[in-house]
Amino acid sequence: MIELQNLSKSYAAHKVLDGIKLTLKAGKVHGIVGENGAGKTTLFKCIAGLEAYEGSINSPHQPLKDQLGFLPTDPYFFSKITGREYLQLLCNARQLPQQDFDAKNIFDLPLHQYAATYSTGMKKKLALTAILLLPNEVFILDEPFNGVDIQSNMVITGIIQKLRSLGKTVLISSHIFSTLNDTCDVIYLLKKGQIVRQADRAGFAQLEAEMRAFTIGDRIERLELR
Amino acid sequence: MLQYFKLQHTLISRHINEFGLHPVIGQILGILAFIGLSFFLFYKTGFAQYIYVLMAISALLNLSERNRNDFLKTCFNQHDYPKIRLAENMAISLPFIAFLVFNHCYLAAGALAVAGISLAMVNFGFSGGFTIPTPFFKWPHEFTVGFRKTFILHLAAYILAAIGIGVANFNLGIFSLLLVFVVCLSYYSEVEAEYYAWVHRLKPKPFLRHKIKIALIYASLLTLPIAVALCIFQPDKAAIILALQGLGYIYLSMFVLAKYAAFPHPISLPQGIILAVCFAMPPLLLLAIPMFYRQSIRKLQQILA
Repeated sequence: MIELQNLSKSYAAHKVLDGIKLTLKAGKVHGIVGENGAGKTTLFKCIAGLEAYEGSINSPHQPLKDQLGFLPTDPYFFSKITGREYLQLLCNARQLPQQDFDAKNIFDLPLHQYAATYSTGMKKKLALTAILLLPNEVFILDEPFNGVDIQSNMVITGIIQKLRSLGKTVLISSHIFSTLNDTCDVIYLLKKGQIVRQADRAGFAQLEAEMRAFTIGDRIERLELR
Repeated sequence: MLQYFKLQHTLISRHINEFGLHPVIGQILGILAFIGLSFFLFYKTGFAQYIYVLMAISALLNLSERNRNDFLKTCFNQHDYPKIRLAENMAISLPFIAFLVFNHCYLAAGALAVAGISLAMVNFGFSGGFTIPTPFFKWPHEFTVGFRKTFILHLAAYILAAIGIGVANFNLGIFSLLLVFVVCLSYYSEVEAEYYAWVHRLKPKPFLRHKIKIALIYASLLTLPIAVALCIFQPDKAAIILALQGLGYIYLSMFVLAKYAAFPHPISLPQGIILAVCFAMPPLLLLAIPMFYRQSIRKLQQILA
């Protein structure tokens, strides 16, 4: 169980995360929703140790980063590195033995091509493949469904469900509520750096309805579309 | 079109600003450094014109990158695009051409002018499935990426080395060896995203050791063929060749440390000055290397703790 206690993060005077308290359980999939700029990515980067923060993160996995598979929103690739080399690079970094990348290339990616030439969805799938090759106990997936085709969407949903059954701790964010509905055990609503609402499976429909009503409001009418 | 060049000027000014300098001062320093280095180069070596042409073409190749030019094509019409590309290439090559003419290297100046004009019409980049093979597949990172971007320079260095050996010109051979080392150093000028350091299951000290080890092994793969060939054909100069090879390793190690001393930011101006001074006065390496090492450990502590 990973516990976040009073986690706060500021950039100068701007407070991005404000006293986050969160418990991430093994064998559970935790979803985070919130508007752009609500602090989701910053929260993920703090847990990953990529950002300094106030408060504490207690984890049974020490160091957490060595057992954490982190899928960033927009994975970065060098301009002249192939898909296969990217996988090799990350496996080397975790000191893993040589693997059969072709056998584990479940998204049928052209691993011999430069990763930078991949489409948005292919890049996401390559980065996801990489973290699944590593023996991680915790997974943070920032927008895993972004730009991904419908077939791969189904595969990713299946992967997340498999991770849950294997007892892994999973934290994901998505702007597509239905994908969270299919995968999560609990969803947290992040607003202006604070967790303002939490819902378990039974409460997902109500949470979505509340979000829809609050988010849409009169915005579309204001456009005066004709 | 004018707007585009104004924007480019603003972007360059921002880069200089990030480097910690006022843009005007930075531009003046840049011009002075170019003139100073040019005089130094032509004073120091008889191969200055070749280095000069290589440097200019390398800069021109960067501007010919396919994605960049595809973007420009989408922004500008078919009349403005070639004008922009030609103006860019001339802005890069003219200072080099002027200095070549000043030094009576008319053939090289002419060749560079032709290269500048022709490269304005070409886009480089492999949009198909072709991948440049490298011998660095076991640890694919800086050398894999860098080699693919600079393989033309390696090819040029090997051709120069072969010519040097063929005509028994020791200086040309040494120049080619140093060129390969300098190109290898450039691989560490680009800073990777934090993620690539973070993902390592290593503490800062072993991480740095690992990085230096890979740099030395892979630099050896590229430099040793030239060094060994020079030793075989000029055995009386083997001591000088080995000394330069060793010095190359030390500079490479320093560059690795300097990169992580600034990580995740690019090398800062003070650090850049220290690197430059170390090139002029190698004994200062004894101070610079431990300093960069301590700074690197500190910078990596947060990410690899």
